[in-house]
Amino acid sequence: MRRLSPFLQIGYFALAAAAAVFAQEVPVGVVVERSAATVEKNPFDTPQDAELGRKTFITGGGCSYCHANDGTGGRGANLTLGEYRFGGSDAQLFDTIRNGIPGSDMPPTRGPDQEIWRLVAFVKHLGSQGLDEKAPGDPVAGKTVYDTKGGCGACHAINQQGGIIGPDLTRVGRRRSLKHLEESIVNPSADLPLNYRAVRIVTAHGDTITGIRLNEDDISIQMRDTSGNLRAFLKDNVKEIRRDQPSLMPAYGSVLSRKEIENLVAYLSSLRGTL
Amino acid sequence: MKNSDNRLLARAAPNRPHVLAMTCRAATVRERLLSVISEQVHKLSIAMAICAAGFSLSAQGLPITSDRLLHADREPGNWLMYSNTYNSWRYSRLAQVDTSNVGRLKLKWLFQMRTQEKVETTPLVVDGIMYVTRPDNDIIALDAETGRTLWTYEYRNPRRLYPCCGRVNRGVAILGNRLFMNTLDMHVVAVDARSGREVWRTKMFDYTAAGGYAATGAPLVVKDKVIVGMAGAEHGVRGFLDAYDAATGKLAWRFNTIPKQGDPNYSWSGDSGERGGASTWNTGSYDPELNTLYWGTGNPWPDTNGDVRLGDDLYSCSVIALDPDTGKLKWHYQFTPHDVHDWDSTQVPVLVDAQFRGRPRKLLVWPNRNGFFYVLDRQSGEFLTAKAFVRQTWAKGFDDRGRPELIPGNEPTTEGNIDVWPGVDGGANWMAHSYSPLTGWLYTFAREERRVYSKTEYHPPTTEETVAGFRARPVFAPEESFGKVIALEPGTGEIKWEHRVLTPPWSGVMATAGNLVFGGTLEGNVFALDARSGKQLWRFLGNGPVFAGPISFLSNGKQYVSLAVGDVLMTFSLNAE
Repeated sequence: MRRLSPFLQIGYFALAAAAAVFAQEVPVGVVVERSAATVEKNPFDTPQDAELGRKTFITGGGCSYCHANDGTGGRGANLTLGEYRFGGSDAQLFDTIRNGIPGSDMPPTRGPDQEIWRLVAFVKHLGSQGLDEKAPGDPVAGKTVYDTKGGCGACHAINQQGGIIGPDLTRVGRRRSLKHLEESIVNPSADLPLNYRAVRIVTAHGDTITGIRLNEDDISIQMRDTSGNLRAFLKDNVKEIRRDQPSLMPAYGSVLSRKEIENLVAYLSSLRGTL
Repeated sequence: MKNSDNRLLARAAPNRPHVLAMTCRAATVRERLLSVISEQVHKLSIAMAICAAGFSLSAQGLPITSDRLLHADREPGNWLMYSNTYNSWRYSRLAQVDTSNVGRLKLKWLFQMRTQEKVETTPLVVDGIMYVTRPDNDIIALDAETGRTLWTYEYRNPRRLYPCCGRVNRGVAILGNRLFMNTLDMHVVAVDARSGREVWRTKMFDYTAAGGYAATGAPLVVKDKVIVGMAGAEHGVRGFLDAYDAATGKLAWRFNTIPKQGDPNYSWSGDSGERGGASTWNTGSYDPELNTLYWGTGNPWPDTNGDVRLGDDLYSCSVIALDPDTGKLKWHYQFTPHDVHDWDSTQVPVLVDAQFRGRPRKLLVWPNRNGFFYVLDRQSGEFLTAKAFVRQTWAKGFDDRGRPELIPGNEPTTEGNIDVWPGVDGGANWMAHSYSPLTGWLYTFAREERRVYSKTEYHPPTTEETVAGFRARPVFAPEESFGKVIALEPGTGEIKWEHRVLTPPWSGVMATAGNLVFGGTLEGNVFALDARSGKQLWRFLGNGPVFAGPISFLSNGKQYVSLAVGDVLMTFSLNAE
C-alpha cells in the first residue's frame, strides 16, 4: 500500500476526528464481529441527544446517503414509519446501527456508544412522526399492472411468488416511501442497491451471461444470472465485464401511463407483509 | 475442465438425461471397484479421481431430492449432509489427494468469520456452492472455488440466550431448494438456497422455559422431514427430538426423550424427570433399509447430583432408534444408566455392516463420552460388546444385556473427586468420527484426561443468573492429559494404531479414499495421517483452536479439503507439481 505523506496523514486524522461516527468501509459479503448494546434503554434519549443524532445522521454517519435527510429512504429503508425489520426497541436499533445488516447495503458503524445511542434517539424521532403516506392511486388496479403489463413477477417476488433476480417486494410498502417507489419504477437505475447492479460477462469462449453482480474482487466475480442461477467466474477466464447500465430493470416511464404508475405505486405501498 | 470459465453453480431444474446416465454408469464402476479394494488401493484412487471428475462435470445443482440424499455417496464431489452420508461415515470418496501427494496440499482460500465464538460448523457443498453457518445463526453461501460470498442470511437472535457452551451452530441440512437451520432461540428456519431468503420459520419451544433451551446441532433431513434436536440438559429442560414438514414447517412429530410418568420406562424418582435433561443436541443417522433413525441423548439433570433423580433416568445417555415417519420408539440402549458425570451420549451414531464374531451384522458403533467403544446390533438394539478406548475408572465390565458393572468411588463429592477418568468432557464428545470402507476401520479423535467432579447443590431450574452453573474446569498439565486419533476395528474395538497430540481435542476427523485421515488440534495444527498406519504425512499451522470437522469436495474437478480453524474456514487443495 502507498504510504500517505505526513501532511495528508494529519489531514486524514483531522477528518476522522471531525466525523465521530462513520459507516465502515466493508465490501459486500464481508462479515464483522458483532457487538451488542449493554443496556436495554437508550441512556441518551433527550431532545438534545436526538438533535445531535440528526447531525450525525446527515453528516458524519453518512446515514442520509441511503435513508435521505428526512429519513424517507431511498436505497435504504424508509425510517419514518417506525417499523423496523430487526426490531424497534432501543437495544435492537442500537445493534442494527452498530453491526449493520449482513448481505445488504447497510454497513456496520464505528464510533463511541453514545454516538450510536444518539442516532437511535434520532431514528426513533423519525419513526414517531406517523408519516404513513396515503397513496393516491388504486392498489387493485395497480396489482393488475404488476401482474400483466408490468410483468413485474418475472423478477420480483411477493410472498415467495415470483422471480429472485430483483428485490423481494413482500413488505416493500413498509420499507420505501411513495416517492422512492415511483422513482424506482420510472428510473430504476437512479438509486440501486449494490448487490442488484447489472453485469454482463463475456467469457473467453465467447459466451455472454447477463445478471446481477453479487460479489467481485480482482480475481473473480460472482453473479446471479437472469434465470436466477448463482454463477462464478475467474477473471482469467473472462474476456470482458460490461456494466452498461446500473439496473437490469427497464425504465417503465415510457411503458406505463401516468395513471398506471400511480396505481402501481399504490399497490406496492399496500404490500406490508409481516415484519 | 473444459467449461471452467463458465461454471454453472446452481441449476434450478436440471433435466439432462445424459448427465443422469453418466452418473449411473459412474456409480456402477465405483461399486465394482469397491469390491476389489484392499490390494489395489492406488489403482482405485486413480479410478475414483476420474469418476469424481465425471460427477463434477454433471453439475446437477439444485434441487436436492430425497433420492439424492439417499445416494449421497454417488456424489463424492458434493457434501450433502452433516456427516456426508446417512450412515455417518464422514468418508470422502475423493482420492485425488492421497498418501503419495498430500505433501503438496496448500492453502487455497480462507473465509473469515470474524467471531469470538467457537466455529463448530460443517459446511455443505452442492456443485460448487458452499453453505456455511456462522455462530449466532447466519447462513452464508460461498463460491467454493474462491471462498467469495454469494449471499448472506442473517438470523437475529435475542441478545440473551441460554446455550450451555457458547453461541454455536453446527450447520444446515438441505432438501429441494431449501436449507434448514435450527437457531439458538429455538426456531427452525427454511431458507431458499438460491436467494438466501427465508421461506418459513417455526418456533420449536420457549427458549426461556426452565433454565433455558437452545438448538445448536445440524438438522438431518429424512424423506420429507427435517429432524431437529435441542440442548439444555445443563439447565433442567425436558428433552425431545422434533420432525418438521420440510414443505410447510409444521411439526410432524415430537419424541419426548423422557417418558411420561407412569410409562414403564419412566425411571426417575418422583417428578424429577420433568426437568431431567436428556437433550438431543447433535446430529443422528438413518438406515433407509431398516427405516430407522438413530439419535444420541444427553445427560440427566442435575448433571452431577444424582440424589434428586434416583433410578436409571431413561432415556438419558442413550441411543434411541425411531421410526422416522412417526417418531415411534423402536428400541433404546442406555450407555450410562443414572449418569452423574455429564457423559452425554450425543456422539454421531456410525452405521457399519461388518463381521462380528465371524458373522456379518448390521452394526451401530459408538465411541462414547464415558470412555467405552460400543458395538450394538442396529436392527434389534442388542448389546454386542464394549471396550474402553481411553483410560477409565468407573466400570469393571458389562453384563450380557450391556449394563455396566460399576467400580465404587467414582461419584462426584462435595469437596471434589479428583481421580475419575474420563473427565467431564469425555473420552469422546460430539466431534465427528469417520469410517473408511477401504481400511474397514473407524477413526475417532479421543481425549485422555480426568477432571474434578464436584457434587452440586440442587436448585430448581431458572434463567435467573443467580444460580451458578458447574463451570470449574481446571486445566491439567500436558503430562496429565493428551489427545489421540485412533483407528478402531468396528467388530471388536481393537485399536489398530494411535496418533498422539498434545492436548485433548475438539476436532472431528474425516477419512478419504486417498487413504488419509484429516483433523486438527486445539492449537490449530491441521494434519493428514496415513489411514493404514497413523503416520502423519502432512500438517499445516493454522494457529487457532479447531472445533469443527473436515469435509472434502470438488470444484472444477479438483479436490478440496475444508476445515474451520479458529474463526477462519480454511480450504486446501493440491499445488500443481
